[in-house]
Parts: sequence; structure tokens; C-alpha cells
Amino acid sequence: MTALHTQPAADAPAATTSTLDLAGVSRWYGNVVAVNDVTMRLGPGVTGLLGPNGAGKTTLLHMMAGFLAPSRGAVTLDGEPTWRNPGVYRRLGLVSEREAVHTFLSAYEFVLASAKLHRLPDPEAAARRAIELVELEGAQGRRIGTYSKGMRQRTRVAAALVHDPQVLLLDEPFNGMDPRQRLHMMALLHRLGDAGRTILFSSHILEEVEQVSGTVQVMVAGRLAASGDYRTIRRLMTNRPHVFAVRSTDDRALAVALMAESSVSGVELGRTGLTVKAGDYGAFTRALPRIALRHGIRVRQLLPEDESLESVFSYLVEA
Amino acid sequence: MSTVTWITARGLFGRSRFLMLLPLPLVLIGLAVLCRSLGVDPGQWGPPVLVGLGLAVVLPVVALIVGTGVLGAEIDDGTVVHILTKPLPRWQIVLPKLAVAAGVSAVTVAVPLYVAGVLADSVRLGLALVAASVAGALAYSALFLALSLVSRRPVLLGLVYVLIWEGLLGRFVDGTKVLSVQQWVIALADRIAPTALLGTTVSVPVAAVLTALVTVGFTALAVDRLRSFSVAGETS
Amino acid sequence: MSDATGVIHDIGYQRYTGPRLGRRQVFGALYGHGLRTVFGLGRSAKAKIFPWLVVAVVTVVAAGLTAVRSQLGQVVLTYAQFADAMSWLVIFFVAVAAPELVSRDLRSGVLPLYFSRPLPRGDYALAKLAALMTALWLLLGGPQLVMFLGAAFTTSRGMRGVWDELLDLLPGLLYAGLWAVVFASIGLLVASLTGKRAFAAGGIVAVFLMTTPVVGVLSIMPSRTVNELAFLASPSSLVSGVGTWALGDLLTQGQEGGIPIGGFGPVYAVVAVLLVAACVSLLLLRYRKVAAR
Repeated sequence: MTALHTQPAADAPAATTSTLDLAGVSRWYGNVVAVNDVTMRLGPGVTGLLGPNGAGKTTLLHMMAGFLAPSRGAVTLDGEPTWRNPGVYRRLGLVSEREAVHTFLSAYEFVLASAKLHRLPDPEAAARRAIELVELEGAQGRRIGTYSKGMRQRTRVAAALVHDPQVLLLDEPFNGMDPRQRLHMMALLHRLGDAGRTILFSSHILEEVEQVSGTVQVMVAGRLAASGDYRTIRRLMTNRPHVFAVRSTDDRALAVALMAESSVSGVELGRTGLTVKAGDYGAFTRALPRIALRHGIRVRQLLPEDESLESVFSYLVEA
Repeated sequence: MSTVTWITARGLFGRSRFLMLLPLPLVLIGLAVLCRSLGVDPGQWGPPVLVGLGLAVVLPVVALIVGTGVLGAEIDDGTVVHILTKPLPRWQIVLPKLAVAAGVSAVTVAVPLYVAGVLADSVRLGLALVAASVAGALAYSALFLALSLVSRRPVLLGLVYVLIWEGLLGRFVDGTKVLSVQQWVIALADRIAPTALLGTTVSVPVAAVLTALVTVGFTALAVDRLRSFSVAGETS
Repeated sequence: MSDATGVIHDIGYQRYTGPRLGRRQVFGALYGHGLRTVFGLGRSAKAKIFPWLVVAVVTVVAAGLTAVRSQLGQVVLTYAQFADAMSWLVIFFVAVAAPELVSRDLRSGVLPLYFSRPLPRGDYALAKLAALMTALWLLLGGPQLVMFLGAAFTTSRGMRGVWDELLDLLPGLLYAGLWAVVFASIGLLVASLTGKRAFAAGGIVAVFLMTTPVVGVLSIMPSRTVNELAFLASPSSLVSGVGTWALGDLLTQGQEGGIPIGGFGPVYAVVAVLLVAACVSLLLLRYRKVAAR
């Protein structure tokens, strides 16, 4: 544990893992319900918290981080409540959305102060490691006031990572970052997740979530609309046809054969292949090889076309 | 020096705003020196300079600006989250901040008051004013620090107290003087160095007890409020 | 692909080509909005607390004075003395209102939006200043009106008494106007220096409060000239000085009162004018600079 605290090495496996539990959590402001009866369990790995603006993502994150009391329900980290319990910050890091930093300090001073406030045995080393992790060594001596938005963001990530927390919560972490920094941050989150840390980040930009994590928690209008692997979620949405792009040695013949199949609801013949709409994901994927074999057609490519998070999301939001 | 103290002090001194505080003590010293050099009777210039300017204006205004600044400014711009996401018992955040606020206010006020006190009467009066203004700085700082956790507009609330309660009502309604930090400070100073320059209706034991009570009480309130500090929600 | 055609359909969007209101209306809109801002009208309940607290206090005081006068027949404060007695509340009111008027805009960076309209830089500052002056005048004048109504309805000398009362009220309202002009100019200038409302409020109070004891000290100096000029040092006593000179007995109504300014009355008037002029020009300069940023 001690070795781990002094060296926030992203790829070192966590000695212990932590679980964040939300049980029937609601939060309302007067008449406005911001979060409505959310129950979820976050374990090791990267999870995306997804939802349109105003869905209650930030409120939920604040409750997880102990900055807001749930109006009803409980938020616990390994069984301990996060509200009015500063002890949880030994295992929890937060990167909040407001890009507020002490502009009069340098990044190194700022991260070092964080390390000292965490009572780490070797704060200097911990601060240096954290700054290396976010690749800010070059600018670490300058006042934060002179930084760009993305650099400030990385400074805050470094400060949140300095004590190598088991749980890291990030509110819109990619805001204001350029594409390269974005990729770097995504890779960092991946590494941390693979190393057994529990990472939750919120975003309303779908491609970010898609690239970083397969597991999502989708919030719509204060409620948890779906959770788990987004491909699985998609498959569960049976009343919406799945769309596949199919390329084969004889598209036209395959189209005719597919139309006879009860799981297929439509086929479109395009210049580059077939676009198949299927009502039942499982039945179609089982039927396709059988049909192809029967008709002597070789299927070259089978791509689920709307597996993207975008389609999952728009489905959930519209539903 | 604790890290919280260090950050707080850097935040206070690291900006040019801090220089805004300087004219207050300088005017105080300037007036005292002027009166003394012109040979005006201390019985005449003592009360307006020592009490009217020093204890009734410079002390509360400096304590208000500094006291609401050490935590209120951080809450205002959101940087307070960085200190709060640390596994520190909340009193370890409040006490260093209170110490910085009270210390800075005390030095800013006590130095010119000491000079003015010596010029007006004696070293003893100077020291009495120093002791009393340190006690006053503590009580005011605790009060204003707690205000910055109770309200989003701590400066205005503090001004209501200083201007309306102590300033306006204190002059017209005698009963409110019992609950006025300014009167306690005067009572304490007058007890340590009895002169004709300072006078109040509040008794010394009452003043001493209430000063301690306000300091401890508002510090405890601040610690408790910080424990349940909520980040303002999007919809509130 | 030559047969590809495209058309943008006319769905009714069009540029505004009608007449536009002029500079007067822009100024008027800013002024009206400023006046509403000062009293927190059209804003959340929180924004109303402090201004209306002050309004409530001055009104209650005025009502109390009226009651005392009608019951005991004793004039505790004349109309003009009322303004003097309320000076600390006026200071507090300025500390609440001025930052709300200008510091907020500085902080949230909306000035470029204002100045990208056909709005001269100076108009923005002057509209805000006019709004603050009006608000202060209402703050002091309103309670005087309450006192006047109280006195008019309880007078035992019929229309004659009402007329006398009115003659007493008018200089009081004029005097309140003087307060408003001086305090608004200084307060708005201080507030325009910082975007942080907390600091602006602290700064305004510091400026007004610090100067009062200076007057106290100067007026005990061993020189009659210095004593009589001492009241120049603080905005509130400066206003009193001008009032004493210009309105004289009208202010005090034969009672003890006024301040000993000797024969320097005109000096007070000149200094007051210069002070207001200096504050306004500094304010305009400040906005020329802010806008250029």
C-alpha cells in the first residue's frame, strides 16, 4: 500500500479494488428532481456516465464525491457513506467540471500541496509522478494562471491522481482538450481502468465514451435509463430493428434469400453491399451463415451498422 | 506551517488586491502623527482616531475583507473543492484559515493602533490596544469566516452587522452594545490601560466571556458547515 | 449530374428593415434596467433581500418619526436631517447596489456584447450612474414623502399648514438629490474598478467610512480655517456643508443644526461639483479602457 501511495504508477495493479454503490439515490432542489431513484454499482474498470445536458450527471457525481447529500437513498464507497466523511478521499479522487485552480501557484506547487494534504510519505516524488502521468513536466514551474484550458485540466487530473486513488470520478474531463491531449487522456484512463481502478467519467459527447469505455451508465432526465455494455444494451432493445451491413460474393441472390427469413424485416441493395434490417439480433446472426451455406454464397463482411453508442443513446433518449 | 496555511497565505498575499488594505492603517498612523506634531490635546483627538477610526472602522473592515476572503473567495471561484477532496478532518481546514485571517487582520490593525496609542497616551495604552485588537480580530474573523459558509453574500451580511448593528443601532440603541464586538474590544482595552480616552457601557467580564464565546461558537459553526459543504447544484 | 437542382425555400426569414429606435431609447433601456437591478426587480428573491432591507429600515424610521410628531408634536428630525441621519444606510445601499450594477458585468464579461451595439461607451456608464442616482434619491425621498403625508394629514392649520409643510419638504428633496449625486458618483467609480462584488462592496464602505474620522480629527486642529474646511474630507460631511450653505435655514428649520463651515460655503459647493465631475470623468475614462481590452 505504501509503495503504491508514493508511486502513482498507472499500470501497477491496484492492491485492493473499491466499489462505489448507489442505492435508490434521489436528489431534488425544491420542486425540481435532478436525480431520480438511481441504483448502480461501479466496480473496477472504466465506466462512462452518459446523458444530455441537464440529465443530472453532475449532481450524481457530486453526490458520489460527497459534495451533496442525497435527498433520499445512500451513496457508499466500500460500505462507508461519502457524505460528511472526509476519510473516503483517501480512496477517491475527483476532477470537477469547473475549471477552477489556484492560479497563483505553479502546477508543481499545486500538485505538491495536494500530495501534502493527503499526508503522503514522499510528497515530492508523488507530485513528480503525477505530473509525468499527465505530461506536464515542461510547464510545471509556471504559474497556472498562464496555462491553456487543457493544461489546467491536466493539472487538476494530476492533483486528483497524486494519491493514486482506487476510485476516480471525472466530470467532463475532455472539455477544452485538443485531440492529442484527448487521446492521451483516454489512454491514461484505459491504463488506470485495466490496472483495477474504478473510473467514472461523465460526458455528453458520445464518441468520447465510445472510445474509452464499453460500459456505460445512461442518464436521461434524472433517471438511470440503461447500464452495462452498450452493445448488450442495444441488443436488448428488440422493438427497434438492428441494421447490418453485409458484403458477399452475390449480394443480389443473398438479398432474395434473406427476404424469406422471418427475422429479417427489410433488405436494401446498395452499390457496396446489402443493408439488412433484422428484428431479432440473435436469430438473424444464427440464420445468416445457414442461408449463405445453402445458397453457396460467401459472406465477406458482416458489420452491425448501428451498434454505435449514438444509436443506443438516441434510442434511449427518444424512448 | 501547514499546507492549508501556506495556500491561504499565498492566496492572500500573492495578489495585488492585498495592497488595497494598506491605506487604512496608513491613514490611522498619519492622523495620529499629525495631531501629535501639532500639539493637539490627546483627550480631543484620541477618541476619534483610536475608537472612531481604529476600532470602529479599520478593525472590522480589514477583518471583513480578510475574513471573508480566506474561504469565501475560494468558495466563490470553486477552488475550495481541491482542499475539500482531501482526507482532512474539517477543523484542520477551518483552524489554519482562521489563524491566517486573524493573524493578518491583527497585524494590520495592531501596529498602527500601537503607534497611535503610544502617541496619544503611553506605551501601556499602546499595548492594551494591541491586546484588545488581537482579541477583536479573532472574534471578527471567526464571525466573518462562518458567514462565508452560511451565505453566498458574506461581505454584505458582514456589512449589515458592522454598519447597521454596530454602527447605527450601537449609537442610538444602547442595548445592542452588549452584543457588539466593537464595544467588547473597547472594554478590554480600557481595562488593561484605564484612560479617559476609551469608554463603554459594557462590563469587562461580559466583554471577555462574550468575545471568547463568539470566537469559539462561530469557529465551531464554520467547522460544522464545512463538514456538510454542498457544491451548488445546476438547478438551485 | 447536370440535372441536379437545388433550391432554398423561402420560409419567411428576413432581415429587419424597419425603423430602428435611437440612442435615447438605448440609454433609456439601460437606465430602466439598471434601476430595476438596484432594487432586485425581475431577479431572484435573494437579490431583493439587501436593497429592500434598507428600504424597509428607512421607511420604518420615517413612519416612527411621523408617529412621534403627530402624538407629541415634536419634530425629532427635519426632512434634511433625515438624510444625514440615514447616511450609514445610504453607504450600505451603495455598497449593495453599485457592484450589482457594474461589477457583475465586468465579471461575467458581457461588456463586449454591450459595446457591439450602437451604444457609445460613455452612455453605458452614464446610464448606470443615472440609475444609481435615481435609486438613491428615491431611497431618501420616499421616506420624506411619508413624513410629509403624515404631517399634512395631521396638521391643525388646514391648507396653510400643508403648504408650509410642502415648502419644508422641497428643500429636503433637493438635498436628497445632492446626496444621491455625490454618493452614486463615488460608489460607482469604486465598483467599476473590480469585477468581484465582494471586493467592490468592501472598497466602497472603506472609502466612505475611513473619511469620516478624518473629519473628526481635522475639526479639532488648532486652526479655525482648518476646522471650517475639515468637512471637505468626507463625502457625507461635504454634502452637509453644501446643504448648510445653499439651503441654510431651510434645512434646519430654525433648529440647532448645520455644521460650522464659517464663510467657506462657496468652497464646499465648488469642491462638491469638482468631486462629482472628477468621479464621472474617471468613470468614463475607465470604460474607455475596459472597452478597449
